[in-house]
Amino acid sequence: MSSPTEVLNDVQSRALDRELTNREKTRVVVQVDHGSVAVGANLVASTLADTLPESAYLVVAGSDGASFEAPKILVTSPEGQGSVYTNVSPDFAGKLAGNLNMRSEHDQSFFDSQKRVALDLAGEISSTVVDDYLANNGYSGLAKALTMSPADVIEQVKLSGLRGRGGAYFPAALKWEGASKAIGTPKYFVVNAEEGEPGIFKDRHLMESVPHRILEGMIIAAYATGVERAYFYINAEANLSASRIRLAVDQAYANGFLGRNILGSGYELEVEICRGAGGYVCGEETTLLNTLEGYRREPRLRPPFPTEAGLWSKPTVINNPETLCSVPFILTNGPDEFRNIGTDQASGTKIVSLSGSVGRPGVVEVPMGTTLRDIIYDIGGGTVNGRELTGVAVGGPSSGVLPPSELSTRIAPGLLHEAGVMLGAGGVIALDERLSVLETIRSLASYNAQESCGKCTPCREGTPRIVDTLDRLIAGTGSRSDLDELRYLADVVKTASLCGLGQAAGGPITSGLKFFESEFNNLVPY
Amino acid sequence: MVISDRNTLRAELRKEFPRDRGQLLPALHFLQHEFGYLPDWGMEVVSWHLGIPASEVYGAATSYTELRIRRPGEHVLRVCRGISCTLNGADELYDSASGYLFSNSTEADGTECVTLEEVGCAYMCGLAPVIEWDHQLIGRATVASIDQLLPEVSDR
Repeated sequence: MSSPTEVLNDVQSRALDRELTNREKTRVVVQVDHGSVAVGANLVASTLADTLPESAYLVVAGSDGASFEAPKILVTSPEGQGSVYTNVSPDFAGKLAGNLNMRSEHDQSFFDSQKRVALDLAGEISSTVVDDYLANNGYSGLAKALTMSPADVIEQVKLSGLRGRGGAYFPAALKWEGASKAIGTPKYFVVNAEEGEPGIFKDRHLMESVPHRILEGMIIAAYATGVERAYFYINAEANLSASRIRLAVDQAYANGFLGRNILGSGYELEVEICRGAGGYVCGEETTLLNTLEGYRREPRLRPPFPTEAGLWSKPTVINNPETLCSVPFILTNGPDEFRNIGTDQASGTKIVSLSGSVGRPGVVEVPMGTTLRDIIYDIGGGTVNGRELTGVAVGGPSSGVLPPSELSTRIAPGLLHEAGVMLGAGGVIALDERLSVLETIRSLASYNAQESCGKCTPCREGTPRIVDTLDRLIAGTGSRSDLDELRYLADVVKTASLCGLGQAAGGPITSGLKFFESEFNNLVPY
Repeated sequence: MVISDRNTLRAELRKEFPRDRGQLLPALHFLQHEFGYLPDWGMEVVSWHLGIPASEVYGAATSYTELRIRRPGEHVLRVCRGISCTLNGADELYDSASGYLFSNSTEADGTECVTLEEVGCAYMCGLAPVIEWDHQLIGRATVASIDQLLPEVSDR
């Protein structure tokens, strides 16, 4: 019997052979993802498909994260000469097809200070054909994992210090270990790609650009926990992501990475794709389980934790796609290599969804410990039109707003700033004078109120009262006692709510009252 | 095939969905895909088929933001009101659309031609402001993009 590594080598070399037939041709990559489609990438791709000469071949990739450059085309000549064309129109694509030697200047500063582990190859390799991923050493981590015992795989991940990237930053290895030791069969694995958090769009990027990396990480994690059935749960609106994952799952079955006897190891894993139906709270893991079981979107009491009693009361591991994307790297390169990235306390990288008032918005991946200043200025290119930065909303509606004076705050798993600002799933929105900090806080608070599922009283009653009080203050009819009320409500909601949504819903208020005290004080008459 | 009565719907559900509680959301998605929303009678059929009380089907249907229990207009225009979109002018887009629809859109029978909605986030913050027209997202939207879309459908 041949080992998983040998079986994989076979599959990889067949993929390389198929790639070689294109060696004499010019490679034209068009980046098509949910974002670029909204600015015409589909038309660009179809124009290229119709007009490219025989001497070139077309690759449909996901996005490389540079939203501001979409739609984007990368051309590589057979000699290895590369050019990048940004913000292209279908017309331009037609012209380019006629003259593939057209030169272009490209500014790389968006990419220069990034460190890409999960997003490596994103936007460069095909997201609809598995060959590109295989040719770039894809699924090697899986082959290596399958030669080890599940306990050894968990040990490797434990040594790497990998923490979940969904917002809670729980050590991934501990979660897997918990589920593998838990009593009860069958065990389940759930990929949580619900991603319903405003300001965050990284999981879609991963699903649309490197779907196979997520699957590879998922299979490794499932093997480590002893799971034979996995559910890939995708947000209701992310149709393109779902179709790319569906395609990737089919290819994984066809190449022996899923199904029975994976890579000849005897391990078996089946995957089913499920769709959500909207709602921020669905990303909360116990709510997601309720959704899968056909109940209302309401969280469950914890404990028991899903690792002990999750889906249909069986031990269940729930991981975010971003977490899983680090796993193949850890297995292939070893845990030390992963530990070398980031800080002593927090290893690895974090994908940040950068938007708002920045010249270069998009999805960026930086080592843990990078400062907000580096993210906003070095990568994001600073505020739009040199406007004055008035604040930074970090981590979506469940975190908080930092003033420009706190830009040297470093990103870290969990708490970023002692004022209670958390990284969450990694949203960074730069604010300028076009939207006041108070309006921002109100908007975050009203989102939380709208999305509250209503199961527990503190959140159901508290979040709308926060909005009412803010409205009163902003309208100029508030009094000083309203400020105390706000502080009190934020505290109650944080302390007494059932799930993460409510527990974090006070964040924007607490951080706002701390850092923007004078703005709040100006709202009351005396 | 057009599903118009309970029996055909029930036959379709029987074909597509095993009788298992976990099939509730897939079945509701199917219903919404067929009709554009979840008609009361359709939810009742789902409840029979899956053996879940109709009240619980309704409870679930109304708890998810992407499921509709009211028939939307022929077209649905959504404007993202996330922070990045608001920062980049979403208010202006919304006002322009609602202003236009206020003076132009109601049809003689009282149904809306265009349903205007706000969304908390369209998850494309890098391309703000974002609007969505009949499930097609449009990034870097301007008032001009709305002016282009609306007259085509409402000047009839």
